Amino acid sequence: MLAKDFIKKVKDKEISVIKNTEKILKEAKNINKEYSYFNFISEEYALKQAQEIEKSIKQNKAQGSLLGLPISVKDCICTQSIPSSSGSKILENYIPPFNATVIQKCLQEGAIIIGKTSQDEFGFGGFSTNSAFEIPKNPFDKTRATGGSSGGSAGFTQATSLPHISIAESTGGSIVNPSSFCGVYGLCPTYGLISRYGLIDYANSLDKIGPMAKNIEDIELMLNTIKGQDPKDSTSLNQELKKSKIKKIAIIKESLGVDKQIKDLILEKLDSLKIKYNLISLPITQRYGIQTYYLIAMSEASTNLAKLAGLTHGSQLHLKGTFNEYFSEVRSKFLGKEAKRRIILGTFARMSGFRNAYYLKAMKVRTLIINEYKKAFKKYDLLVSPTMPILPPKFSEIEKLTPLQNYMMDILTVGPNLAGLPHSNIPAGFINKLPVGILFIADHLCENNLIEIGKKLK
Amino acid sequence: MTKIGIEVHIQLPTQTKLFCRCKNPSTLTEAEPNTLTCENCLGLPGSKPSLNKEAIFQALKLAIALKCDINKETFFSRKSYFYPDLPKNFQITQYEIPIANSGFLKNIRIKRLHLEEDPGRLIHEGSTTLIDYNRSGIPLVELVTEPDFASPAEVREFLKELLSLLSYLQIYTRTSEASMRTDANISTSGERVEIKNITGLRDVEKALNYELRRQQQEIPRIQETRSWLPDKQITILTRTKETEEDYGYIFEPDLTKIEISQKEIQQIKKSLPELAPEKTKRFTQQYKIKESDAQVLTSELLLADLFEKTAKKISPESAAKWLRREIPRVLHYNKKSIHDLEIDETHLIELLDLLETKQITEHTAKKILEQLIEKPFRPSEYIKKQKIKVISKTSEIEQYCKEAIKQNPQAVQDYKTGNEKALNYLIGQVMGKTKGQASHKEVNKIFKKLINT
Repeated sequence: MLAKDFIKKVKDKEISVIKNTEKILKEAKNINKEYSYFNFISEEYALKQAQEIEKSIKQNKAQGSLLGLPISVKDCICTQSIPSSSGSKILENYIPPFNATVIQKCLQEGAIIIGKTSQDEFGFGGFSTNSAFEIPKNPFDKTRATGGSSGGSAGFTQATSLPHISIAESTGGSIVNPSSFCGVYGLCPTYGLISRYGLIDYANSLDKIGPMAKNIEDIELMLNTIKGQDPKDSTSLNQELKKSKIKKIAIIKESLGVDKQIKDLILEKLDSLKIKYNLISLPITQRYGIQTYYLIAMSEASTNLAKLAGLTHGSQLHLKGTFNEYFSEVRSKFLGKEAKRRIILGTFARMSGFRNAYYLKAMKVRTLIINEYKKAFKKYDLLVSPTMPILPPKFSEIEKLTPLQNYMMDILTVGPNLAGLPHSNIPAGFINKLPVGILFIADHLCENNLIEIGKKLK
Repeated sequence: MTKIGIEVHIQLPTQTKLFCRCKNPSTLTEAEPNTLTCENCLGLPGSKPSLNKEAIFQALKLAIALKCDINKETFFSRKSYFYPDLPKNFQITQYEIPIANSGFLKNIRIKRLHLEEDPGRLIHEGSTTLIDYNRSGIPLVELVTEPDFASPAEVREFLKELLSLLSYLQIYTRTSEASMRTDANISTSGERVEIKNITGLRDVEKALNYELRRQQQEIPRIQETRSWLPDKQITILTRTKETEEDYGYIFEPDLTKIEISQKEIQQIKKSLPELAPEKTKRFTQQYKIKESDAQVLTSELLLADLFEKTAKKISPESAAKWLRREIPRVLHYNKKSIHDLEIDETHLIELLDLLETKQITEHTAKKILEQLIEKPFRPSEYIKKQKIKVISKTSEIEQYCKEAIKQNPQAVQDYKTGNEKALNYLIGQVMGKTKGQASHKEVNKIFKKLINT
């Protein structure tokens, strides 16, 4: 059932919000036992919300574009009075005293928050295996990863039998990657379209909040609910989405070097569209995308994580020694290995003597990458590639990857993330019973092209 | 040769803080610790800065008054260092392109002027340290000079002038002087030494003088950073150049660039009040007072305004004299500053009018002023109540003088043999007897006449 049909039924009193909420909470708890999609299931909170909404429906006072709809929220998005840990021990049991702007909007529209979804610690990973808590498992094969970092959101979106939308987040591909591995729709918007206020930062100049759902209509609904300028987020845009039409499409040439089965499936799917497409080459993005992305992301992340030192919030220890000793002790104990690696690399890249060669150079290359895409969008309305270069890997395979091999998994997704371009994963089919996704990239504020192509490809 | 350059941090009295909408404590009288804070002031995850345009406006006013070059485009950066008063463990400040560069105040060149957030305040109590985050996020302007000072006294003069400018620009508060923090670079014969975090105005000169004396005894061989300990009145070594901190600056990714248009600059320029140098010039021309008097009067906007209001009714010469000498004298005696002054021009006009119309003597006027500054009242009512008048009849004064001569033959003798001080003693006797209601000049004249005949 589409979310909008569900909401209509709720408004028409054909569906009881309380019963539906109880049902999805029960399902979530059952699924979670085996698949670990939630770091926290907010049962009490959701039931209280459901009761209030049901009451207002009975009084015919209920309104809202998401009325009674269960939503799950990535753990890194602040929810007032619900723990928000960003997958980290250092924020275990941290309860924010305020709501993220997107949460505020969802609550105003009557959405019901059922829990916080599992993820790589602070978004540092592509398989959700860098979580400090339980690691989510692929809904199609428990021995495989969900992708990441929004793995819990994607996994539960696929696994639930009930209407539901998840609010996820992407820095370098964390929405489309797990959407692809779990076979769901995921949209990462233009940078600045959706307020980041209340998002526990990974890399602020790259972070975007976006929806995941089982169909494109739900994606559209959530996008329209949470987009819009926010005075609390200076980087949020004061611009409307463009009214655009898809006329010309190009496949990114460099992306076709992936697994042959994946390539063939993608091309077959595109052929079904009956839109003519060309090949386009993005050499700068291909050659420098990963390096540029990781230098900027880690530099910013290393400053963001500095505030987590056991003083004003988060996990604490007994105060002793000098403040430096105390901060070091807290951070050594509560931060994970990948977080530490990124702090060290990110700090290195911005130190005087290296700043010019790494951080500032990366910022310059980022501009070149943006320009390369902008040039492409003068000719084309959508760029296409597979979302992931491989099928969802087994946990045993992931263990063998070096950090660099891990980072290379983002090769197809870091480009649009660096350029702040809207992009989406659309399920393309299955290979060996494992889902494969297509990545569509549109020009800034041309999210409508992504919605349109999603509807066409159904 | 001694060379000194300074970095001054000044809190701006904006309504709200620099990056959130919490009230700015620097504009309030007193606030309980940690009551003016939000997720931004505490650096909670997910919080984000949003710029307070009023702070930009105030910083621009200062930059324009200092004749700086304003940068068309400016932005914020993150300066990373770990310290318990800094809730995010990075400070949002400006690095590559500040709001303004290259201005001057008096003969001192100003290198740059930028905006940044104030950290929280650490309060050390015995073995524990408390943190008050009310201060976290107050807008600070940091002003960096070239090494143009030749002595600690010049630094103090400069800071006084700067405070005066702030009050002209109405970006001054009661706490401006006390909350002003200065870092000073000083080099004499050896390597450069930086003294960090000197609070207030007076300690800057003291710290630099201490450092001058110290460096005469131990010439610094390597660059070092020292701290001023106000309670011990000494500086101590905190680190040497080899261990200099690396702040790992990155662009603040949560804020966008700020564009400052020529139009905006012109508008602010037009809105600036008449500043001290122009005012001095005008006072000497319009009121025909001495330039040195005009300079003292215009060094404080309050004083200058009070002068102009008083000079409408009282002769400018007299008004200048009283405002420049007498009021500062009494304030200083009472350990008060001009900002504590409770009387206004009506009190002053009334008092000086009584003097001009010879209803009181200068001596009485001074005594009344001393009381006025403690607590304002109406001088004309006061003299009525106290039955104060001027003994203007010469015959009456002569009577007092003759009496004094009779009672003090020794003083008279001394004066006759050339001791001028003895005459003052005699005059003092008469002033005492008449409670200051006789004119000093008149008494002097009469004595000279009486003793010489």
